[in-house]
Amino acid sequence: MNVEELVAKVKEILSDMVKDVVVHKGNDYIEVEIDKDNIIEAAKRMKQAGFDHIKDLTVVDYPKDGVFRIIYNLSSYSNRELSYYIVGLAYNIPRDKPETVTLYPIYTTADFQEREAYEAFGITFKGHPDMRPLLLSPPVAEMKPLRKDFVVKEEPIDLK
Amino acid sequence: MTGWVEAIIKIIEWPPLWQLVVLGLIAPLAVVIYILWFERKTAARVQRRIGPYHVSPRIAGGLQLLADLIRYSFQEVIIPKTVDKAAFISAPLIALILSILPVVAIPFTDVPKWFPLPMDYSLILALALVTLSPLFIIVAGWASNNKFAIIGGMREAYLIVSYEIIAILSFLAATAMTGTYNLVDIVHAQTGWKWFIVLNPLAFFTAFVGVLLSTSGFPFEIAESEHEVVAGAFTEYSGLMYGINMGAAYLKRMIYSLLLTVVFLGGWYPLKPGEGFIWGYLAPSIVIFIKATILMMIFSFFRAVYGRYRLDQAIEIAWKILFPLTVIAFGLGLLEAYYGII
Amino acid sequence: MSGIVRGTVGFNDLKLPGAWTRKIGKDLYEVFIGPQHPGSGHMRIIIRVDGDIIVEAEPDMGYVHRTMEKLSEVRTWIKSIPLFERMAIHDACNVTLPYVRAVEKLLGIEAPERAKYLRVLLCEINRIAAFLYGFGIFGVFLGHSTMYMWPFGDREVWVELAEWLTGARLTHTYPVFGGVRRDVPAGFTDALRKAIRYMRRRLEDYRKIFVDNPVIRSRLEGVGYIPRNLAIELGITGPNLRASGVKYDVRMNHPYEVYDQLDFEIPVFQEGDAYARVLQRVEEIKQSLRILEQVADWLDKHERSPILHDRFWKTAPPLYKKVFQEQGRAKLMAVYAILKVPKGKAYERGETARGEISYYVESDGKNTPYRVRIHSASARNALVYKYILPGHRVMDLPAIYGSIDYFPPEADR
Repeated sequence: MNVEELVAKVKEILSDMVKDVVVHKGNDYIEVEIDKDNIIEAAKRMKQAGFDHIKDLTVVDYPKDGVFRIIYNLSSYSNRELSYYIVGLAYNIPRDKPETVTLYPIYTTADFQEREAYEAFGITFKGHPDMRPLLLSPPVAEMKPLRKDFVVKEEPIDLK
Repeated sequence: MTGWVEAIIKIIEWPPLWQLVVLGLIAPLAVVIYILWFERKTAARVQRRIGPYHVSPRIAGGLQLLADLIRYSFQEVIIPKTVDKAAFISAPLIALILSILPVVAIPFTDVPKWFPLPMDYSLILALALVTLSPLFIIVAGWASNNKFAIIGGMREAYLIVSYEIIAILSFLAATAMTGTYNLVDIVHAQTGWKWFIVLNPLAFFTAFVGVLLSTSGFPFEIAESEHEVVAGAFTEYSGLMYGINMGAAYLKRMIYSLLLTVVFLGGWYPLKPGEGFIWGYLAPSIVIFIKATILMMIFSFFRAVYGRYRLDQAIEIAWKILFPLTVIAFGLGLLEAYYGII
Repeated sequence: MSGIVRGTVGFNDLKLPGAWTRKIGKDLYEVFIGPQHPGSGHMRIIIRVDGDIIVEAEPDMGYVHRTMEKLSEVRTWIKSIPLFERMAIHDACNVTLPYVRAVEKLLGIEAPERAKYLRVLLCEINRIAAFLYGFGIFGVFLGHSTMYMWPFGDREVWVELAEWLTGARLTHTYPVFGGVRRDVPAGFTDALRKAIRYMRRRLEDYRKIFVDNPVIRSRLEGVGYIPRNLAIELGITGPNLRASGVKYDVRMNHPYEVYDQLDFEIPVFQEGDAYARVLQRVEEIKQSLRILEQVADWLDKHERSPILHDRFWKTAPPLYKKVFQEQGRAKLMAVYAILKVPKGKAYERGETARGEISYYVESDGKNTPYRVRIHSASARNALVYKYILPGHRVMDLPAIYGSIDYFPPEADR
């Protein structure tokens, strides 16, 4: 299966939900843009099609556009052909209202990853049974450290 | 002048004192220190390390344990605010005393003049005393008011219930063979290399494993298992108190080894106690101690070879395997007595 | 959140083994194991026990969190390599290689063949060292002090080899964009072959004292059983996944460097319990030794040639090239410090000793990354504690913890 076939297959699985498909460098990573409202349906279909786990949940902050881009990078363990590829299921949510729905009922893998996104970006995943910070302590999570407007304070290396 | 010396010698030779202080405390302590060094050294040899070395390189780090002891004694004993102070302090001390006490019931000679107590029911007395000390380990764990300590104490409690009957029954197999509770008579029955380890190896085996279980030696080091419950019942102890706790387990194992020696390994044989203090008392005790030390060395070698069993597995082994074996060993003893092999 | 007992909802919904335990009563005993506890690494597991049975387990990670994802956004591209190494210092090459490859993807370059072999060489050396480290920790968790000392001693062999190759015992920073930092020193392959022979012999010793030890077997067999479906559902990776019967290894499913040209197998066990995971790791060490032999053969056959991509190598002054020909060291050129990576996104993954690590790298054309998202093997395996521990006994916790080969710094990132 080459990447064109994969794109065709993903388009077939998600049919009209697909807004845009981007094939990234290396030809093993495609990013499928969908609507926020379709995410649960899309995830269900993807899981049925053999993408059985979330390899990693990436959130990227674009302050210029005023959005968070949430990318569920799906892949497969059970299907040898699919396992070569990563399919990023991506959608944007507004920066000033960081709320979305959880994929936890579909993918158990989302459990800790959504908690990580919650602590680092302050995005609430509705329906997640245990929405608490995972790695950070609550005061640090309050600062939402991975947002672009959190600036890392650089300390001078010279001794005073 | 000479009167004083004689008086001091008399006091030292007085059996209760000699037996409790010298044979019960000083000699086992010396053996325990040697065994700890031996344990660390053999484990190091198996694990391709050097082991204790820097304190006294010429005698292969032999003084390391003394150095540790000194360090323990000068460490601050921290008593947390949340503990039950009276029980917290007294429990390890009582446990220590109780683990030494059984030595008064163990004969180190067959000359009645040197018995600290009448020896008629000495086996029963020794076993009764030896099974008392674990209760105070539970008390120590409970008084610590620490979750790990309580879990450790509970594990100890589970293990007591399972090993005690095994240890007692397999020692009593000797009574089944000889028809007496008198340890001196039991030793006498083993004259001429008729050691009970040869006549009833099953009883020796179950007693051996029972001792391992009771003194939390590998592979049954469960109550103090470091990687689940930190130090078991002794989690909150520090300094000398911790040293006492750890030493008490070894002292108890030493006393058990003495008992095993007397009951199964022929006591003071091949030596025959003779006249006077030296040949009548000192020499037989040395023989017994040498045999017990060899047993201790076997116990401590397991540390390098085995991991530890799970709590439920250890209890399962105790009830499902060892207990029937013990009963069989007891029956074997009865049979041997019936057919007059003893 | 409202009205929900924490952590139990998922069990009931998904019909996972955790749901088979008894109903939680008031008399639960909550024990905090870690983060400073002899039985866990720098990680806390909160367990609630009923008697001796764990009813609920909650991994509480983050004790050694270093916000690497954020830190990488304020560092130049090359500086992130030594930063990411801190995730798993004894597995440094495996952990940083996917990042290097992702940036290479964005740059549109590929390392020369010799550099690829050298990367594989260090990757496998690291992998063996990391497995031995895991064995040591596992051994001491089960109270087996000999299994603690032996692998730690034998690990020294591989750490020394890595030091000879790269100049650093642990944090090698060996793969850089477009190649590697150093070529093999003279006589290295002979020492490597000797080490391989030694390791094969030692594996036999391990089998005698640890793997076939009746006490250890009774502790591990049937404990921490992860069925195949659950392993996939939880997304666990690495040897843990393969011990549950899933034949998935990034080296095979998404071959990188020269793994597709090497002859090795992906061992798979079907049992899925802690004992299978031990056997799995032993087999993986054997396969790594096999790979190392082939790499040694290849290196013997081929002459020294540039180990950096031409794009960087052509900027090297003549003195650098002379030093390289004589001593095999390639000093990094100034171009690395001002490197700007073209706009784009790349996703790359690699097989570390503990499983799959994945990097999402996004560049906006500046000299620092726009976003780097790391998801490491241990972070994914941490789910096991939440879903597998319930129903086991408290004394099974070290056995499961050790058999997963969890490494807190890697999970916390």
